[in-house]
Amino acid sequence: MTTAELEALGALTREYAAFQSRKSGLATALGGLMAILLVLAALSPNLMGADLLQRPLLHYILFVPFLWLVLKWLGGLLLYRGLGRVKAMPDERYERRRWFWILGLALFLMAYLLVGLYAFMNGFLIQKPSFAPLSPPAAWILWLPLLYLLPTPWLIRGIEEARVYAVLVAQCMIWLVPLFLFAFGARTPPNQAWSMSGHLAMTAFLALILVIQTWGALAMIRGWKEHRKYLAILRALPREA
Amino acid sequence: MSKTGALPKAILDLDRIVHEPARLAILTVLASAEEVAFLFLQRITGLSKGNLSSHTQKLEATGYLETVKVFQGRIPVTSFRITEDGRTALRLYHQQLRSLLPKEGKP
Repeated sequence: MTTAELEALGALTREYAAFQSRKSGLATALGGLMAILLVLAALSPNLMGADLLQRPLLHYILFVPFLWLVLKWLGGLLLYRGLGRVKAMPDERYERRRWFWILGLALFLMAYLLVGLYAFMNGFLIQKPSFAPLSPPAAWILWLPLLYLLPTPWLIRGIEEARVYAVLVAQCMIWLVPLFLFAFGARTPPNQAWSMSGHLAMTAFLALILVIQTWGALAMIRGWKEHRKYLAILRALPREA
Repeated sequence: MSKTGALPKAILDLDRIVHEPARLAILTVLASAEEVAFLFLQRITGLSKGNLSSHTQKLEATGYLETVKVFQGRIPVTSFRITEDGRTALRLYHQQLRSLLPKEGKP
């Protein structure tokens, strides 16, 4: 066995272990596609301003992150179970480098998500004053994002878990935009829904939509590439003796 | 081989446990991850189940690896991890081999 062959064995193991810790691939691509479709649907003239009280729609949007998590888990179980678990070597330097910005990003996104939901609720109540008795914090919708916080202590343990958590929160934010669009679409009387946030917020919101579409497209490409790479790893493994 | 026909001491000093190609491959794979499942180890080394078991038993007896057995539901899953001794032995083996190889440009 040559040195090059030994190095190749080590590299293949490391690549497989890195993939095993994420088990993404198709799940990433699916997440990107779901984000793009949902925003496009929310922007389409037929759906804009759909009644938020159509509960199934609301439930769907709010629970999409969880649906995505379940699909990711199923993907890991059915598609990426592969050849058993290979736990990657802990890389302290890598973890130190990444830890703070991932945690920072997760916290920033969480704050953004909560502020966004409060803003949404505010606009919702302007539009439907009859729901005022349900005003925050009693409105049930406001408590739902807290579900995203529940797994925090169990998830923020390792770098890969923190990464997954940051992605999850980012996804929540991404699903929130269509929710906002559905709520304040064509049916909204002019100068009412947007008045609470002003033009600056509207510009930021539109920029966010653009970012989501770009992110979705990139996620689809990245996920597909990752999936292909996984198949290539499997192909690179020698056949059973 | 030296002119007198005797093997150089450096070659004789090589760790025979590590020197065997299958065990060298096993240790190399294990050194690249924290824990490796039996199935993956079998596929990446291309060894049969029996062969792999026999080599891992030998490595475990030497103290170069440890076996981890867990249950996933009702299915027992066997994994291996390299020990500090195993890592040191592998590092030493590489150093010894490098010292045996001719320097660049010198046959």
